[in-house]
Amino acid sequence: MDEILKIKANDLRSKICSGEVKSLNIVKACVTRIKKTDSKIRSFLKLNENKLLEQEATCSDKKIESGKKCGSLEGIPIGIKDNIMMKGESMTSASKYLENYISPYDATVIEKLKKAGAIFIGRTNMDEFAMGGSTETSAYQKTTNPWSLEHIPGGSSGGSAAAVSMGMVPFALGSDTGGSVRQPASFCGIVGYKPSYGLISRYGVCALASSFDQVGTLSKNVKDSALLASIVMGKDYKDPVCEPREQIDCISYIDDNLEVLKSVKVGIPRQLFNYKMDTEISENFNKAVDKFKFLSVKIVEVDIPSYKYIPALYKIIMCAEVSANIATFDGIRYGYRALNAENLDDEYAKSRAESLGYEVKKRILFGTYVLGAKNYYRCYHQAQKVRTLLINQISDAYKKCDFIFSPATLQMPVKFGETLSEECDVFLIAANLAGLPGITVPYNFTNSSMPVGMHFMGSRFSDVKLFQIANAFEKISDFDLNKYPEL
Amino acid sequence: MVNYESVIGLEVHMQINTKSKVFCECSTRFGSEPNLNTCIICTSQPGAIPILNKKAVEAVIKTGLALSFNINKESIFTRKQYFYPDSPKNYQITQSDQPLCSRGKLSIIVKGKEKIINITRLHLEEDTGKLVHKVGSRKLNYSLLDLNRAGVGLMELVTEPELRSPEEAFEFLNELKNIVEYLETSECSMEEGKMRCDVNVSMRHVEQQEYGTKVEIKNINSLSGVRNAITYEIERQKEILDSGGKLIQETRLWEAEKKITKSMRSKEGALDYRYFPEPDLVPFALTNSFIEGLRKEIPEFPRARKMRFIKDYGLTEYAASYLASTKVIADYYEKALSYMEDKKASSELLANWIFTELNAKLNVSKIFISKSPVSCQNLAKLVSLILDGTISRKIAKTVFDEMFEKSSDPEKIIKEKGFTQISDKSVIAKICEEVIYENSKAVSEFKSGKKKAIGAIVGLAMKKSKGQANPQLVNKILLEKLKT
Repeated sequence: MDEILKIKANDLRSKICSGEVKSLNIVKACVTRIKKTDSKIRSFLKLNENKLLEQEATCSDKKIESGKKCGSLEGIPIGIKDNIMMKGESMTSASKYLENYISPYDATVIEKLKKAGAIFIGRTNMDEFAMGGSTETSAYQKTTNPWSLEHIPGGSSGGSAAAVSMGMVPFALGSDTGGSVRQPASFCGIVGYKPSYGLISRYGVCALASSFDQVGTLSKNVKDSALLASIVMGKDYKDPVCEPREQIDCISYIDDNLEVLKSVKVGIPRQLFNYKMDTEISENFNKAVDKFKFLSVKIVEVDIPSYKYIPALYKIIMCAEVSANIATFDGIRYGYRALNAENLDDEYAKSRAESLGYEVKKRILFGTYVLGAKNYYRCYHQAQKVRTLLINQISDAYKKCDFIFSPATLQMPVKFGETLSEECDVFLIAANLAGLPGITVPYNFTNSSMPVGMHFMGSRFSDVKLFQIANAFEKISDFDLNKYPEL
Repeated sequence: MVNYESVIGLEVHMQINTKSKVFCECSTRFGSEPNLNTCIICTSQPGAIPILNKKAVEAVIKTGLALSFNINKESIFTRKQYFYPDSPKNYQITQSDQPLCSRGKLSIIVKGKEKIINITRLHLEEDTGKLVHKVGSRKLNYSLLDLNRAGVGLMELVTEPELRSPEEAFEFLNELKNIVEYLETSECSMEEGKMRCDVNVSMRHVEQQEYGTKVEIKNINSLSGVRNAITYEIERQKEILDSGGKLIQETRLWEAEKKITKSMRSKEGALDYRYFPEPDLVPFALTNSFIEGLRKEIPEFPRARKMRFIKDYGLTEYAASYLASTKVIADYYEKALSYMEDKKASSELLANWIFTELNAKLNVSKIFISKSPVSCQNLAKLVSLILDGTISRKIAKTVFDEMFEKSSDPEKIIKEKGFTQISDKSVIAKICEEVIYENSKAVSEFKSGKKKAIGAIVGLAMKKSKGQANPQLVNKILLEKLKT
C-alpha cells in the first residue's frame, strides 16, 4: 500500500496547499489501490474515468502552483454513496428501478464539495434505497468487510465504509437513517458521524425516511469527519427542515490535548446492561469505561426506560415514511417500466414487482399496514407518542451528562447470509429517533482482528463538542489508526 | 307523500392566484405548452423536497379572514396517499388535522332572507397534473401526462351540511366567488377549472334529527351545473325513498350533457388514503402581526360596497349592484369619481357611462376593464365636460368613440375637432331663424297644433350646428320664435 494513502485528509489539505504533496499523486494512488483491491471488496458501483480524474487533479495542482485561491478540499479525493444526486451522473440507490437514471441536478452537499475542490472518485455501494444494515440488499453487488472477506461490511453505507477502511479514499459521504453511516463505519473500523437532524441539507439525497435521514461522513479519524462535516453543513432554503445555521469550522475547536476529558460528564444508560451483547464488545466497552475512570472522567448512570421500544417504533415510523417516499417510483415518469402491462394498475404492479427488491417490498407493505385507517392510531400514532416520550427521557438524561456513551453495536459483523438482531443498532437508532448527533469511533481489535467501535451521542446541535470528545477518545483508544486491512 | 328535507354540503376547490406553484418555483401560467412549467420538485425526482410558497399561505389566510374563520397559528401538512399518474409523488400534500383555518361562515340571501352558512374548514393543498387522452379529436390508445398544473396551490373549503336547496347552494357559491374574486386570491373560473365543486346530498324526513345516507357528486364544472345536479339528485333520491328503496353511500358523477348523475364507486370501494404528517415540511407557526397585517389588506366586499354606493352616491339599486359586483369595475368607478369636483352631482352620470357606453365597447372589443383604453381620468373629464355644458351628450358619444380608439384626452379631441358646444344665444337664434325660414312646412304643421313637429325642427337646427348647439337652448329659442 502506497504510504501516501495513509495521510489523513486534514493533513493532506495542508500538504497539498503547500505543494508538498501533489493531488495527482494521491488520485493515482487511490485509483491503483481500488484497482488492486476492489475486485475483492466491491465497494464502488461506479468509478469515474481515470483520465478525467487525473485531469481534475492536475487542474488542482496547477491552481495551487499558480497561487490561485483554492477550495478547502482542493484536490482531495472522496467517495460518494450512490443515493446522492450529482448532475449528469447515474444515481441508482443500488436499485434496479433506477438502473438508467441520470441525475438532473446536484445535491446541496455535492454543490458544496464541488466548490471546495474535492475530487469525486466514484459512487459507493449500499443497501437498496439504503434499506438494510449489511449492503447485501444492493441490486448490483455484495461489498465485503475489508477486515474479513466472509463478513458483511454493515450498511447501508457499506460501500463508503469499506472503501475508506481499505484506504481507497480518505473519506466518503454516506446517509444515516437508522445507523446507516455509523454501523458500517464501526464494522469496518473507521469513524462514522451522523449530524444533528437539520444540520446538513437533505436536498438531493434520495429519501428513505424523511424525518430521520441525514447525510453523514465516514473517515479514518475524527478530525477528517469534522473537516468534511464543516464543508457540507449549513443552512439551505431548499430543505425546509435544515436549520438556518452558519457553517462552523469544527476542526478549529478540536484540541489534541485531553483537556476536554476533565470537564465532560459521560452518561451510560442503565438499560445498556439489559441487552445481550457479543462478549468481545462488552469486554471492550468495560475496558473503555475503565480507561475513562482511570483518567478521572466523570461517569454517570442515566435512565432511559423507553430504549426498549426503539426497534419497534423505529420500524413503524421508518416504514410508514418509506411506503410514501418510494411510491413515486411507479414506472411512469422515469425509472424501470414493465413492458407487458395490461392497464394502469398492472403497470404499477409489474414495474414495482420486477424492479424493487425483497427488503424494499417488505418495508412498503409494513408501512402501508401501519398507516391504514384501521391501524393508524394503534400503530403509527402510538409510535409517534412513544418517540416523544423517548425524546423527553433523553433530554432529562442530558441534565445529568453531556454525552451518552455506549458500544456502537450489540453484535460483531456477521457472515453473509446471517442476520443481525433487530436490537443490534439500538444505540445508533436512538440518535435518529431523537434528531441527535452521534459518532462511532474505533476502539480496539478483537482477538480475531476485527474492529470494535464505541458510540457517543450528544444533545441536539452539540456537534462541535461531540467531535471534541470523540477526538479525545480516539487518542486514548487502543486502535491503531495506521493499520490498514491486508488482503 | 312523505315530506322530505334535502341536506347539502359543499366541498370547493379554488386555485390560488400566485405567480409560482405552492411547493416549487414553477410558473402557474394557464395554457402553457405541456410540461413547460415543471421542475425536479413538481415532477418528483429523487431527492427533491417541497419548499412552501409563503404567498400561497397568505392567500388562504386572507380568504379565511374574509370568511370569518379562526386562523390556526400552528398548522401542519399531511400526505394523502393514492396512486394516479397525475400526482407524481403518488401522494398529495394537503392538510387534515390542523388546517390553516377552521370554523368560518358566509351569509347568503335567498328569496330576500339572510341565512348564515357555517364552514367547517379552509386549507392549503396542491393541485394535480392532467392526463391527456385525445389530441384534437383523435382519441389516443395511450395517455399523455401534462404536469404544468401539478403543484399549483389550491384552497379547499368544506361547508357544514347546512344548505337546504339547490338555490342555497347556488347562492353560496355565487357569494363565495364574489368575495374570493374581490380578494383576488383566486380567479374562481369554473370553466377554466380554477374553481371546482363537489356536492354532498342526503335526504331526511322533516322531523328527523339524524342525517340520511350521503351521496357525493363529482365532476361539476359550472355554477348552473351545481344547481342542476343537486336538483336531479334530490329527485332521484326522493323517488328511491318513496318507492321503499334504500340509498347507498356512494360517489356519483354529474354528466352535464345528459343532466344526470351516474354511480362511480360505492363506499366499499372508497380509498384508504393512509394520511400521515408530512415530514419534509416543518409545522409552521404564524405570528399575530403576520395575520393582522393580512387583515388590513382585506377590501370592502360587494354587498357592503353596493350599500355604500346607494347611500353615499345616490345610485340606483341596479347601478350600484352592477358596479359593485366586480371589484375592478367598482375600483374603476370610484377612481374616476375621485377626479370629479362635485361627486354627488356627477355620480349617476358617471355610473351610466360605465355600464352603457364603456361596457358595450369593452364587450365588443373583448377587452377587460383593467386594460380599458379610456382611463378613469379621461372618462371623468368627459363627464365633467357634459355636466358643465361644454359639449352635448350627443357630441360626447362621438368624442368617446375617439377616446376609446386612441386612448386620448377628451379636451384635446374637442379642441382639435372644434366640438365645443355652442351656447351663445345670438348664434343659436340665428340658426333657428334660418331653420324656420327654410322649413315652412314643418313650421306650419307645428303652428296648426301638431306639437310633435317641434322635434323635427330641433333636429334640423342641431344638424345645422353640426350637433354643437346646446340642445336645451335650441329648444327654448325655437319655441320662443315659433310662438311669435
